[in-house]
Amino acid sequence: MRRSLAAVALALLLSVGTAAGNPRAQLEFWTISLQPFFTGYVQGVIARYQAAHPDVAVRWIDVQPQAVDQKLLASIAGGVSPDVVNLNTEGTLRLAEARALVDMDAAVPADVRARYFPNIWASLRYSGRTYGIPWYVVPNVLAYNRTLFERAGLDPQHPPATTDAFIRDATVIKQKTGVYGFMPNVDGVRMLAVFQEEGLPILSPDRRHAVFGGPAYVALLAAYVDLYKHDMFPDDTLQHGYLGATERYAGARLGMLTTGPQFLLRVKNDSPDVYKDTLVAPAPHGRGNVLDLPTMALVVPLASRHRTEAAQFALFVTDDDNQLAFDHQVVIFPSTRKAAADPFFARGGATPEDRARVIAARELGVARDLTVVVPHSDELFRVFKDAIENAFYGRMTPQQALAWAAHEWDGRL
Amino acid sequence: MGRPAVGAAHRGMAVRRTLIAYLFLFPALLLLGVFTFYPVVFGTALSLFEYDVISPPRYVGVSQFRALWTDRYFWIALENSLKYLLVVPVLQFCSIVLALWVRRPLRGIGWFRAAYYVPVVTSIVVVGLLWRWLLDESGLVNYALLKLGVIHAPVHWLTNPAFALYAVMFVTLWKGLGYYMVIYLAGLEAIPATYEEAAAIDGAGPTTRLLRVTIPLLRPSILLAGTLSAISALRVFEEMYVMTGGGPVYSTYTMFYYMFDQAFGSLHLGYAAALGVVLAAVTVVLAVANFRLLRQGGLTYY
Repeated sequence: MRRSLAAVALALLLSVGTAAGNPRAQLEFWTISLQPFFTGYVQGVIARYQAAHPDVAVRWIDVQPQAVDQKLLASIAGGVSPDVVNLNTEGTLRLAEARALVDMDAAVPADVRARYFPNIWASLRYSGRTYGIPWYVVPNVLAYNRTLFERAGLDPQHPPATTDAFIRDATVIKQKTGVYGFMPNVDGVRMLAVFQEEGLPILSPDRRHAVFGGPAYVALLAAYVDLYKHDMFPDDTLQHGYLGATERYAGARLGMLTTGPQFLLRVKNDSPDVYKDTLVAPAPHGRGNVLDLPTMALVVPLASRHRTEAAQFALFVTDDDNQLAFDHQVVIFPSTRKAAADPFFARGGATPEDRARVIAARELGVARDLTVVVPHSDELFRVFKDAIENAFYGRMTPQQALAWAAHEWDGRL
Repeated sequence: MGRPAVGAAHRGMAVRRTLIAYLFLFPALLLLGVFTFYPVVFGTALSLFEYDVISPPRYVGVSQFRALWTDRYFWIALENSLKYLLVVPVLQFCSIVLALWVRRPLRGIGWFRAAYYVPVVTSIVVVGLLWRWLLDESGLVNYALLKLGVIHAPVHWLTNPAFALYAVMFVTLWKGLGYYMVIYLAGLEAIPATYEEAAAIDGAGPTTRLLRVTIPLLRPSILLAGTLSAISALRVFEEMYVMTGGGPVYSTYTMFYYMFDQAFGSLHLGYAAALGVVLAAVTVVLAVANFRLLRQGGLTYY
């Protein structure tokens, strides 16, 4: 009897304790592919936030990049929306178009907004409002395999600095070694960034017309189609994109890799021999002297039950200290001015990542997010992807493909 | 006075029996109601609305069905889905041959049966990734074919628009073989040995017995497996999602893939529902055609 009473008393005490410790807000935080490399870092950020805000509990979920859009929409539709979600610019703008995200221009006070680079903050803008808090940015660098360079008779001390030289060297590598020299970023809508890097705008100044049907665009696409037909880059380039390029590079089956320097970490883990053979250089510049600067953002869905707490947590994750700590772990760059001014980014080092960091820091000056912001982006991008693939697979000439896509865009813009 | 009492008791018993019968049916009806009938009705209703998850649905009538008519990607997807039906006769033929083969009382045949069933219980994601590697330009399939001298240059199975759909169909066939084999094995076991024995006594050889006795008696199983397989072929999605992403040049873009893309890529849930209604209609027409063609035969009539 006494034992039963003690058990009941203990249960009551525990339930009271649990009730007292119940957080006011339970936030669900989604990141993209940060496990297992950055598990400790993210858990540390969450622990510090929870220690400072005992009334808020954060549950972390890491999602694969291919699945994040679908999982997010399914969660919103199912009434179980996460509160803070890591998205790239394209994903952010697509959801902004659907009016699914919290307006950060309204949610974040002006003095806090001023901490971020204005151009990076603006890259998440749709219809005059900003729908995400920029987290980190990743300018591309060129990673290349010294042995393959030497086997092709190229000087590893003089990597290609321009797009033309890049293509020329890639061709030499393929011809001399039989190994592909590069996997250009020409799959689907990424061709839009290639156009811009060559100084070719996508829309007319009034943004009512697509201008990519012109002769300069046709010539550029035709040049890549010609390279493809002559087997100068792999057949699966259009399917597997930069992830495929990283896998191929890590397998010593690709001479050069233009990618975000964070992928060097994957090469280091997957293939230490190739990593040892890797040199880094600035990404080759096109005629436009601009580089794409993919931005990772934190967004708060309108369906979140704790929007205020979610925005506060997103600001905490992206504050100067947390961004700087993250940048020490991998070659990425902060979106806040104070963090970016840290001497760490100018300090060199012996490893490819250290060199990549210094190179990429210099690239920030000519880099901007080249994601094209258009209404009905899903439809327009599907048409553009269709046109590009038709051109590569010989079902349309480059001229027909671009003229058709531009016509379809004009009808919807 | 006694007679009505007996009648009432009889009626009471009948009512109780009916209630018990419905009680047994209830769990299945509940599941069907929640997971089949409700989604069908809801999906059909949704096809008349514009809905993007975030804003409230807006009634647009049949305009989404009209839009399908001029939608280039709808026709591409429908064509690919119908092409995918080619897998059905091949799959059924191979499954019957396999069932006949593994039915023989050979040593270790149990292991063979189990081996053919392994792909059925393997996750489609694993199967898709496995075949993506095998069918890669420098994968095992190309390596073997090059070594055997069957081909002189690697075939781009998944990246050539002319082959990609058929390469994915092959994976569906490979994965489905064991499942339909089991259905046919059960069908073969259900055929009494006396029919074949009688035919043998009448002088029929093995081929005649197979074609004139076994296969006709197997028709109910063929009807079942054929219908299930056709429905699965029209609903194929995962293989494409894992192996080709609908490409290259939309050559593996099927109706289900387009529905998924519209619903979760573009947030056009009403439009996706309209695609679903069309797909359901095509499936029903096909199932009815299957029943018309194959319903007679076997040991029972359908």
